[in-house]
Amino acid sequence: MSLSRFVKLGAVLALGMPFSVGVALAQDPVTKGGILIYLEQQSHTNLYPPAGGFYPNSGVLNQITDKLTYQNPKTLEIEPWIAESWTVNAKATEYVFKIRPGVTFSDGAPLDAAAVAKNFDTYGLGNKELKHPVSEVITNYKGSEVIDPLTVKFFFTKPSVGFLQGTSVIGSGLVSLKTLAMPDEALGDATKIIGSGPFVVTSEVLGRELTMTARKDYKWGPAKLAHQGPPNLDGIKYVITPEDSVRIGALLAGQAQVIRQVQAYDEKQVQAKNFLIYAPPTRGVNNSVVFRPDNALVADLKVRQALLHATNAKEIVATLFSANYPQAKSIIASTAQGYVDLSAKLTFDPVLAAKLLDEAGWTVGPKGVRQKDGKELVLTAYESPPQPQNKETLQLVAQQWAKLGVKLSVLAGDAGSRVADSLDPLKTPVAPAMVGRADPDVIRSQYYPTTRNVLLQKGGVSTRVQTFSDDKLNGLLEAIAAETDPAKRMALVGDVQAYVIDQAYAIPIFEEPQAFAASPRLKDFTFEAVGRPSFYAAWLAPK
Amino acid sequence: MARYLLGRIGQAMAVLAVTFTAAFLLLQVLPGDAIMIKFMSPEMGLSADQIAEIRAAYGADLPIWEQYLRTVANFLTGNFGYSIQAGVPVSQQLATNLPPTLLLASLGFIVAVILTVALASLSNMTGMGWLRSALQSLPSLFISVPVFWLGIMLIQIFSFQLGLVSVISPGPVERLILPVATLAIPISAPLAQILMRNIDEVLTQPFVAVACAKGASRGWVLWRHVARNAVLPTLTIAGVLFGELLAGAVVTEAVYGLNGLGGLTYQAVGNHDTAVLQAIVVVSALAFVTINLIVDLLYPVLDPRLSRKIGATA
Repeated sequence: MSLSRFVKLGAVLALGMPFSVGVALAQDPVTKGGILIYLEQQSHTNLYPPAGGFYPNSGVLNQITDKLTYQNPKTLEIEPWIAESWTVNAKATEYVFKIRPGVTFSDGAPLDAAAVAKNFDTYGLGNKELKHPVSEVITNYKGSEVIDPLTVKFFFTKPSVGFLQGTSVIGSGLVSLKTLAMPDEALGDATKIIGSGPFVVTSEVLGRELTMTARKDYKWGPAKLAHQGPPNLDGIKYVITPEDSVRIGALLAGQAQVIRQVQAYDEKQVQAKNFLIYAPPTRGVNNSVVFRPDNALVADLKVRQALLHATNAKEIVATLFSANYPQAKSIIASTAQGYVDLSAKLTFDPVLAAKLLDEAGWTVGPKGVRQKDGKELVLTAYESPPQPQNKETLQLVAQQWAKLGVKLSVLAGDAGSRVADSLDPLKTPVAPAMVGRADPDVIRSQYYPTTRNVLLQKGGVSTRVQTFSDDKLNGLLEAIAAETDPAKRMALVGDVQAYVIDQAYAIPIFEEPQAFAASPRLKDFTFEAVGRPSFYAAWLAPK
Repeated sequence: MARYLLGRIGQAMAVLAVTFTAAFLLLQVLPGDAIMIKFMSPEMGLSADQIAEIRAAYGADLPIWEQYLRTVANFLTGNFGYSIQAGVPVSQQLATNLPPTLLLASLGFIVAVILTVALASLSNMTGMGWLRSALQSLPSLFISVPVFWLGIMLIQIFSFQLGLVSVISPGPVERLILPVATLAIPISAPLAQILMRNIDEVLTQPFVAVACAKGASRGWVLWRHVARNAVLPTLTIAGVLFGELLAGAVVTEAVYGLNGLGGLTYQAVGNHDTAVLQAIVVVSALAFVTINLIVDLLYPVLDPRLSRKIGATA
């Protein structure tokens, strides 16, 4: 491949090609029909829609379910989909949605106000008998009321501004009452997930492959999309191919047209053959390292600040990743709502870092490890397997910290130990963290004690936390969830970003994309707001 | 013979019961369980109360002995429970994963046996010394080839470069060609090594010299006199290896994207999916016990001296 071509390809990718292919390059006529072969790295797990955050699950759910609203991935505006229109009261405690008429689930049942109400009652309150847990994106949910067959009203105990965006996420995908009547432990069978989406799962070999077929009667895609009516493809075949080299080899050999999970170091191999890398952003909380200040070792602000300035995110991105993984400039992605550039506070400054550690009383001991009152500054973190090259990232952070005399042990461990120890600040003073969602509510989800609680504050699931709690942080997070004025809400989002960095609770490293590689034959391959694939408008050009 | 069989079946049942209990206890000792891993993971964003409710609904808050009795009762009625992580009944997982594993393991094993016999007989039949030593050193090569490397090489060459077989959407037979080769090559290695060494040993026995002196050809001696004596230790190893194949060809499955017990076990271990592991342990134990029983019953068929011994002890 010539250099100029490589540069051109790079330039196209840098311009955000994934979102503009349809408009910019749609010169050739759309070819209808054909089966798309999609290679997935891991098998999906339970497909209860609120568990749709897991990348393999969202790849399936996004094709088979519709959502009440559509979040435009370019503008992040909320647009009509299954809901034609909606109204919200001034306090954001009551929402009324008008449902589009004529929508049906693939089992023939109507998608009406009653079905929507039942979906959100389940996601908002959970179902004890059937063991369905509450959805992460729906908070303060009180109940629903079916006003007429196509009008539904939701009530909240407290102002819940994030709910409107919450109706657009994959985790709020609408499913048939039959699906909701099944116990949680039976929802791992994709053929049992009955949605109203453009594709229907027609068969599945658990853990190996699943086949989706287009719904020819589908005519209720998001109203403002260029593509309308049934999908262009006849179907999609998902094949689980765990081995990286086999996925890439099969793509390049023409045995598949799109693959998920391409590591940064494999990108060049794909581009060299004129295949395309798509790396849509996940627009949420950046891939970061967070502290658990309940642990005495990192309770001191100066220690955390020192480690923040000892971390060279630029080196991590340059060594392990590619241009598709931009260096973080805040705790949330630059493509996220309310983002504020805080790079001035995130400088790599080993001299300052050493000074701060000295001031905090941690002096370099005989073995080169800093100590204070006979205790060594030795920290531990578990790798997070779903994050790209997370082990390598943490190991590089460990090398950077080691230069200052701080030891970071990176553990792999089995899932049981990882989850148990991650809830214990004494065992994991440091942890990797990231989450994708295109609403400022994501910051609250990530840091608030009763939700993801990445800092391990008191009041969460962990019983190991002694005292740590930050009322100021929690106050800001609650305000984001309740503030109805968009401008004021964005101001709060800015405040919380600055506060988390000033307190050095988190060290943001890079903005995490979800990386795909595809054949040049695949056209109009698009992504929803947080980088999950959508094949609704996709089509395959002739060979 | 009937008493012997009954005794052996009784033994097998005891082994199964002990395995079941040991597996249950060991799974309890591990830190955390499937419910914790799934629902307490921060991605779910659940509160402590919500998790407690879910634990209660799954019966995970009951005392261990009560959980044990429930599990035993369920197993006896054929109810293996649900996989918490995958969200499907364990019986459905077994139904999807056991047949392909059985097929792959059996074919891999058969091809391995053919390879073994071919290697052993060729190396003993050939008059050419260099060929003989080349053939005899093949097993050492086979055993040192890492399975994942072999698998990826076969795919790269035969599927991606030459385009002879598809790995992504293959036909039912096509699907098996490369994985069977990947499995058979390393499995044939220890079998061939043992068989060759035993043949060499038996060849030094006096009765071989007698047979040769009577004018028997090399092939005749090898097949009629030597093979029968040399095959017994190989059979024992073969039984063990086949059991291992059933318990999972994890690497082969992962490379070829095949579903099977290996991958299922790997995932269930990672997620502490107790119900799945419990079922897999029982199925694997059952397979081992059955294969050993078959091997034991085959001994007297091959060597009449052993049947008298069985008669004396039973």
